[in-house]
Order: sequence, then structure tokens, then C-alpha cells
Amino acid sequence: MNRVGLQYLAGDLSGGNARCIAMLQAFQEAIRDYSTPPEKTLTRDLTSKIGGFVSFLIECRPLSMSMGNAIRFLKSRIARLPLTLSESEAKTTLCSDIDRFINEKIVLADKVILRHAAAKIRDGDVLLTYGSSCVVEMILLYAHELGKQFRVVVVDSHPMLEGQKLLRRLVVKGLSCIYTQLNAISYVMHEVTRVFLGASSIFSNGTVYSMVGTASVAMVAHAFRVPVLVCCEAYKFHERVQLDSICFNELGDPDAISKVPGRVDVNFLDNLTDKQKENLELLNLKYDATPSDYISVIVTDYGMIPPTSVPVIVREYRKEYLLI
Amino acid sequence: MGAQKKGATARVSEDPEELARHPLQAILLADSFTTKFRPITLERPKVLLPLVNIPMINYTLAWLESAGVEEVFVFCCAHSKQVIDYLESSEWSSQPNFSVTTIESHNSISAGDALRLIYERNVIHGDFVLISGDTVSNMSLTQALQEHKDRRKKDANAIMTMVVKQSKPSPITQQSRLGTDELFMAINPVTKQLLYYEDKAEYSKGFISLDKTLIADNPSVILHNDKQDCYIDICSQEVLSLFTDNFDYQHLRRHFVKGLLVDDIMGYKIFTHEIHSSYAARIDNFRSYDTISKDIIQRWTYPFVPDVLCGSSAIKVERQGTYRASDVTLSRSAQLGSFIFIGQGTKIGNDTKISHSVIGERCTIGSNVTIEGSYIWNNVTIEDGCQLRNAIVCDGVILKSGAVLQPGVILSFKVVVGQQFVVPAYSKVSLLQQPTQQDSDEELEYADSTSGTGELRSDKLNGDIAPDLSEIASELGTGGVGYIWKVFEGAYDEEWRHSVAPIPTDKLVKLMLDRDEDEELLTQDGNIISASGELKTDSDGNGSEDDDNEDSRDDYVSFEKEVEATFLRAVHENVKVDLAVLEVNALRLSYNMASVDCGGAIFYSMMKLAVESPHNSASELHRNAADIVTTWQKLLKSFLHDIDEEIEVILKFEEMCLESAKEFAALFPQILHLLYDKEILQEDAILRWADEKEGADESDKVFLKRSEKFIQWLREAEEEEEEEDE
Repeated sequence: MNRVGLQYLAGDLSGGNARCIAMLQAFQEAIRDYSTPPEKTLTRDLTSKIGGFVSFLIECRPLSMSMGNAIRFLKSRIARLPLTLSESEAKTTLCSDIDRFINEKIVLADKVILRHAAAKIRDGDVLLTYGSSCVVEMILLYAHELGKQFRVVVVDSHPMLEGQKLLRRLVVKGLSCIYTQLNAISYVMHEVTRVFLGASSIFSNGTVYSMVGTASVAMVAHAFRVPVLVCCEAYKFHERVQLDSICFNELGDPDAISKVPGRVDVNFLDNLTDKQKENLELLNLKYDATPSDYISVIVTDYGMIPPTSVPVIVREYRKEYLLI
Repeated sequence: MGAQKKGATARVSEDPEELARHPLQAILLADSFTTKFRPITLERPKVLLPLVNIPMINYTLAWLESAGVEEVFVFCCAHSKQVIDYLESSEWSSQPNFSVTTIESHNSISAGDALRLIYERNVIHGDFVLISGDTVSNMSLTQALQEHKDRRKKDANAIMTMVVKQSKPSPITQQSRLGTDELFMAINPVTKQLLYYEDKAEYSKGFISLDKTLIADNPSVILHNDKQDCYIDICSQEVLSLFTDNFDYQHLRRHFVKGLLVDDIMGYKIFTHEIHSSYAARIDNFRSYDTISKDIIQRWTYPFVPDVLCGSSAIKVERQGTYRASDVTLSRSAQLGSFIFIGQGTKIGNDTKISHSVIGERCTIGSNVTIEGSYIWNNVTIEDGCQLRNAIVCDGVILKSGAVLQPGVILSFKVVVGQQFVVPAYSKVSLLQQPTQQDSDEELEYADSTSGTGELRSDKLNGDIAPDLSEIASELGTGGVGYIWKVFEGAYDEEWRHSVAPIPTDKLVKLMLDRDEDEELLTQDGNIISASGELKTDSDGNGSEDDDNEDSRDDYVSFEKEVEATFLRAVHENVKVDLAVLEVNALRLSYNMASVDCGGAIFYSMMKLAVESPHNSASELHRNAADIVTTWQKLLKSFLHDIDEEIEVILKFEEMCLESAKEFAALFPQILHLLYDKEILQEDAILRWADEKEGADESDKVFLKRSEKFIQWLREAEEEEEEEDE
């Protein structure tokens, strides 16, 4: 558990799915090592224990919506355990439940999304993606394997520059790519035929909550009349309604935006006196919210849906995963 | 231009005192002293060849200027007049703070000669940059110079700093993407001293040898094969005097660098400076011409890219790496792919497809033309329906309608290709005849006839057609003009290594197989092929089954050869039979063959030996064969465990008699009898073979008929035995 937390802290683990899977696997381990103290019931004690873990993780880095959903799922599973089960039986059921969750909601969901999205890629397309989303990467590679002829534009932004990771993997596989920064989006959007975006979460009013910059990409694409496809597994949907990205967000390290690694000549913000620093606020937002108007379609494991249908999925999905 | 000048002044001001003392000088060799760019270089010096429509020397000079060099000595040898004329008419002769001086020589045949001449002129006063006129770079010299100077202060023997760059050679072809051979360098990681330099390692040997003192003298040594030599050197004055002292130094690397490293002259040392993010590469052969052109178009060499070098408005960069001059006439239906350059005044017709190519100025391209990965220089006319793939087409060439250039073709100046003519892959075509004999001394560059060629050319093209023209014409189809140069014996195999065309897939597959056999290295096919890119040429359709069969056949042939070699060695060196059995067994395992194959192969080599050993008549041959069989029967027997294997031997023998060793055809029954006598073949095997053959075609039965008597005899013997038993 500590290891996972520290990995979050150091930024070694990023990407909604990777974080979620790491967390669930850590829970699995914790459950295996767990033994009920005398005079307590497993359901109560384990729930509080998990709560402790979660608060530790939150301390390392705020949870994403998807993780929140996963935790909620786990807690409901624990609560619904029949009291008649022995401790070891209860532990194995929980572990297999977690496995099933990872498999069905993440791994298989990705495969389904892949199929749906690849159907939307045609020969000669120019696809734009922003940052590094593992679902989008899988889609691109899958379509490439299918032999479709298309080009990719990878748009990236400071300070994370995650797009470079994606770019490297795509170029190695032989895709023809253009790499550019978010600043140049309006230039490059001219030639783009489709925009594929990943998402951290989708709210029930259809707002997409994703890496900061996604909203600008979607808006520019909308202005250029380029369809925007958001690829997101259904377990990341959330019933919250949010209109802007300020009330719930995560702040990154302010130093990350004040310094440019590898460039000693860009040092305009160094050596400010404390007095001067009082006048300065460095804002390194991690997420932003994209209004549903700018999104053409959401590709999920339940198929391709318009953003207005999100509440339906949330409702159905809730029902379903409480029943698993 | 503006950008560079700013860069230059900025850099100068970074370090004013250092540069104030000595203006930084550079020697630019405007002659590569090789023949790799023939036949083009017979008519124009290599440094003036257009690289993305700008003469190569411009890239080098522009870089030198931006790197803070103030005085450049351009050494011209072959076609020196052309180089001097060009430089005088270009902007370089009138730059403030940047002087270009030419030094002309007519009898220098190597870089060594050039440097000796420059030493005599006594124009170099301090450290200088040594570079050849075909180098493209955008690195900053400041740091390398500083390192060089600091080292000099500490150790006066540090006379040279070589610039190197990371570049991993392909594991299959052992060659970098610039088409140069794998380079081995030993570098001391702390001091960066260069300890060993080998660019012509023997791969067949599979090892390189280092002097052991090298390891004894240095606390740590890193042996690199992933570095590329950029051929940019920062030298001290001593380098020039060293060349003068050692008048046999010709080649910069082969003689000078290796000489210093091996002979340890006066304790002089060479150091390296590695660049990481900036670009530096030298055009050594057609492959690197292709690679560097692509790099320039993809702007890795920024600011030395066509739109910047050509000045303000002449060239515009558009989407997908398209460079287009302002007054290109382009048909509406022409399809321009990515990464192309189209020069001024070029016209492109309907439905023409162009991708990954450079097209120079004032070219006329007709309709339905396909151009892929090709370099077309100025004033070229391409008529309707031509197809060009990975070719270089020089100035003034005319391709009549329907002409096809296969990958790797080089068309030199003013060649005319006739209608519907297909120029075969890797051919080099020139108006000049090939020099009759390849000079063994490859240092001797360009033909010695600078003036002669000009006349020759004008003769031919000034209306009254020379009598020999009709004879030339036949080589390039109707109406064609030019000679197709012959590829020299043995050189053909190597042609693809340095060609503009990407390496064909089948070559790669073959190399990969060879390599697998050599080292049993685990090379994951898919990975390697896709990693090297550009491989989706044409051979996709016809499935992999063919290949597999081919492979196993190849395997068998090479296995047979190995067995034969082993057997011959055993014969000549009197190896014991047991040992020979062991060796053959080992071979069988390593090639994954069955013992059936072994028996066949051994028998084959025995018979071959018998045929090859001197004999006058059939009876002598028979005796030879009998001798060999007697001596080595144990070897053969140890691989013939059952009847199937014996039948295999007979079939093999039959095959031999038909194909390779016809002398045996007459002796077939005798040999069969011999084998029977020696108990190598059992009668069952022979009879079974005979039975099998009964049903075969008449043509197959030739040998059966010949040995009919013998078989008859065998059958009778058997019957008799049976009778006796009863």
C-alpha cells in the first residue's frame, strides 16, 4: 500500500487506469494479509481499514473519480458479504471480485472500446490526440494493425509532456506522426479529420473531466467542425454534475511550470525576492472540464453514446455493479 | 540568412576575448577523394551537387559561419574551376566577418596531400576546424572548442577533437542509417580520449582485437559501436605538420587517426566530443544523400533548411513537410504526398503522384507520372506515364514517355531515356563512358579531364549528332542517349548497401538468415523489419509458405556443403572415423536435420570426391569410388540405421548420376553392387527401391533398367536362400 502511495507521489504511476489497477491490486494484497482482530466482524473492520488506506492514498495524491468509483464498489462488496462466510472464504471472494472488476471494467472494456473506435477510423484520416491516453494509444495501434492508413497528430503541453511517451511508442510501431505543442493547435487543426481524447471522468451532465488542455482542444476542434470522440470506460462515469473545473481539481507542483528543465537560459522567475513572490501565484492545474457541447460522441464499453446519455449509463451501471 | 547571422554574432559575443586573439579558421575540403558519387562527379564536383536543391557546400559554409568561424580555406582539387567560379559568384565572397579563400591544386590525390599543401602555404595560425564540403550540421562549436582549448592548456599533446554522435547501426546490415559501415571506437569515458578506431572491421571474424596495453593503461575503457563519426574535427596546428612529416598519410581516418593511435607518434592524443541534440552528418554515399535529404526536409538540421537558406520568400513550407517555390505550376489533379520539395518554375501535370521526393527548378513533369523517394535536379523533363522510384536524376535529363526507373538508378547529366524503356535497378547511366579499368587506388577521384568532359558533352548535344550516338542509343531504348555503366564483378552484391533505394526486403531476410546461422542470435523477425522502416516495398502478397520452403532448402544446401567440407577435411587430415562421425552428428544437430539427410549428404560428398580425384577411365573411377567407400564405410554406415535411410542413399545416388556427376551414370550398377558387397546397403533396401521405381515414369526408370541384372541376381539369390532354408 505504501509503495503504491509513494508511486503516486513521485508521479511514477500516472493515467487513470494504471492508478486504479495499482490501487485495486494493493487492496487485494492488503486483504490477503488481513486477519480479523478478535471481537470484531470482518465487514466492519475491513471497511474501516480500507478507509484508512484510502485516506493515505489521498494524502499522496488526490483520488481520481475512477478510483473513487472503484473504492465504492469494493466497500459495497464488503458490506454485502454474507455473515455466514468464514474469514478465508470472505477474503477469497473479495479478491476474485477485485480481479473481476479489473478484468471486466478495465481490460475488457478497453477491448470493446477499441473495436468501436477503430470502426470510426478510415483510410486517409488524420487523427489528433492530446497528451497520453492509454485507451487512445491502444486504438491507434489497433487500427494500424488492421492496416488502416492514417496519420496521427500528437498534441502535448508543458509541464508534463506525456505526449512524448505516447509519441515514442507510436513512432516505434511505424505510425506516421506529427508532434506539436498545444499552442499550435489552431494551425494543425486544419488538416485533422478526427479528434480522439481520453478522459479522467465523465459527469452525468456530459461534462468531460480530463487533463488540463483537453477543453481547449475540444473547443478548437468544435470551431473547426472536427468530430471529437472521447474514449472512456464506463466505470469512470460519475453521477456528480459539474459546470466548471474550479470547484473540484488538483493542483500540481508550482515549480514545474516556473522552471523549464534542460533550459538554463529560461530563468526569468528565479531570484525573486520574497516580497515580489507575494505578488505572484503559480497555478498548475491538472484537470479541466470540457462542456458536453464540444463533444460529438463518447465511446464507452456500452457502445458509442452522445454525451446526453451519460446519466442513463450511470443509472444502469450503478444498478449493475451493485448487483455483481 | 538573417537568423544565422544573429546566431553568429550572439555566439561571438558570448566569448569575445577568446576569439579576439585568433580569428577561428576552418579548412574545408571541397573534394572527397573518393569515387562513390561517380558517374555524377565526373562532370560536377560533389560539393556542388544539390542537396534539397542547394549545393552541399552551402550547408557547410552556412554552418561554419553561424558557428563563429571567420576564415575558411576552401581546398579545391577536382573540378576546381567550377568550385571557384561558384564561390566567386555566390554570396559567400562578399560576407563581412567571414572570408572564404580558395586554394587550388591539380595534383592532390588525397586529403593528406591537401593538408600538406595548406601547411606549405602557412595560412593557419591556430586551432582550426577541419571539415569536408559535404557535411551538414547545426551543432554549436562553442563548447567543443572550449573543451579543446582547456585540454590543450593542460596537455599540449591533445591535438585533435573529433565530433561523434550517437547512432546505432542496424543489427542486420551492420551499417548505420547513413550507409556507412559499423564503426568501433574505444573511448576513455572520463577523459574522452579516443583509444581505438576501426571502421572496416571484419564481421565474418565476429571479433575485433584490441591492444592489451590499451586496457592496461586506462582505468576504464568503453568500446562503442553505437557512435557515428561526424567528420568534424577541431585540430591544432600540429596536425598539419604531422601530415607533412609523415608524407605517406593519405586518408584522414584510415592513415592519420589510426596512425596516431597505433604508432603513438610523439604521444599525441585525440579526443572526442559527443553531441546529443544537434545534428551532424556527412554525405559519404548515395544512401547518406538520401538519409540527409530526408533529415533536412524534416527539419532536423534547422536552421539549415531550404526555406531559411534560400532567403526570404522563395520557398514556402506547407503542411506535411511540403516545400514549394512561389511559381510552381501544379495541375489541380496532381497528388502531392508528404515531405516533398518542388523548386522554382517547375510544372507538374495531371494525376501525377509525388511523395518523399525533391524536384529541382524548371523541371517539366507530365501527366500520370509516379515519383517516389527520388531526387530530381534542375531542368529535367519527365514525359507522361513515367515511373520513378528511389532514383537520382541529374540536370538536363529527359525521360521519354513511359520510361521506368527502378529503385537505385542514377541518371547523370543530360541522359535521355527512350520511350517505354525500363532502366534496371541500381544501374548508373552517364553520357560519359565508364573508365575502362577501375582504378585500384580509390583515392584517385574524378576523371582527370575537367576540360575534356565539357567538350565531349557539347559535341554530342550541339545538333550534329556524333556517329557513335546511334550505337549508344540502343542501350537506353529508342531515342535514348547514354551509357549504362557496368557493375564490376563482386561489386554488384554491395551495390544495394550504398544505394539511394532502401535495402530490399529479400536482402534483409537473407542477411537475417545468414546471421541466424552464424550466431544463432535471436532476432525477432517482425521487430527488426518494421524497425528499419521503409520496408513495405512490394513483396507483401505472396505469403510466407514459399519463404519457409526456401529456407529449409537453403538450410539443406548449406548443411550438405558443411558435411562435404567436414568429410574432405577428414580425408585430407586422416581424422579418425569416430571423430568424423561425431562432427557430422554435431552438424546434424545444429542444422536440425534428420539422420536420413546425413547419410545422403555423406554419400554425396564421397562420390563427389571420387569424381574429383583424377581418373582416366570408367574403371579407374570405379576403383576410386571403391577405395573411398572401403575406407569410410564405417562413417556412412553409422548414419544408415534402417532401410528408409538406405533407400534415401540410392535415390541420392540416382539424382547425382542425373545431375552433378554424370560419369557415374554408366557405373550405376557396379557401385550399387559395391555398396551391397560392403554391406552398406541391404538387399531389402535395394529391392524395395526397385519395387518403388517399378511404378514410376519411363524416364525415371533409366537406372533401374541398367541395374536390372543385379536386381535379378539379388532376387534369385534370395529365392535360392529361401529354397535352401526349406
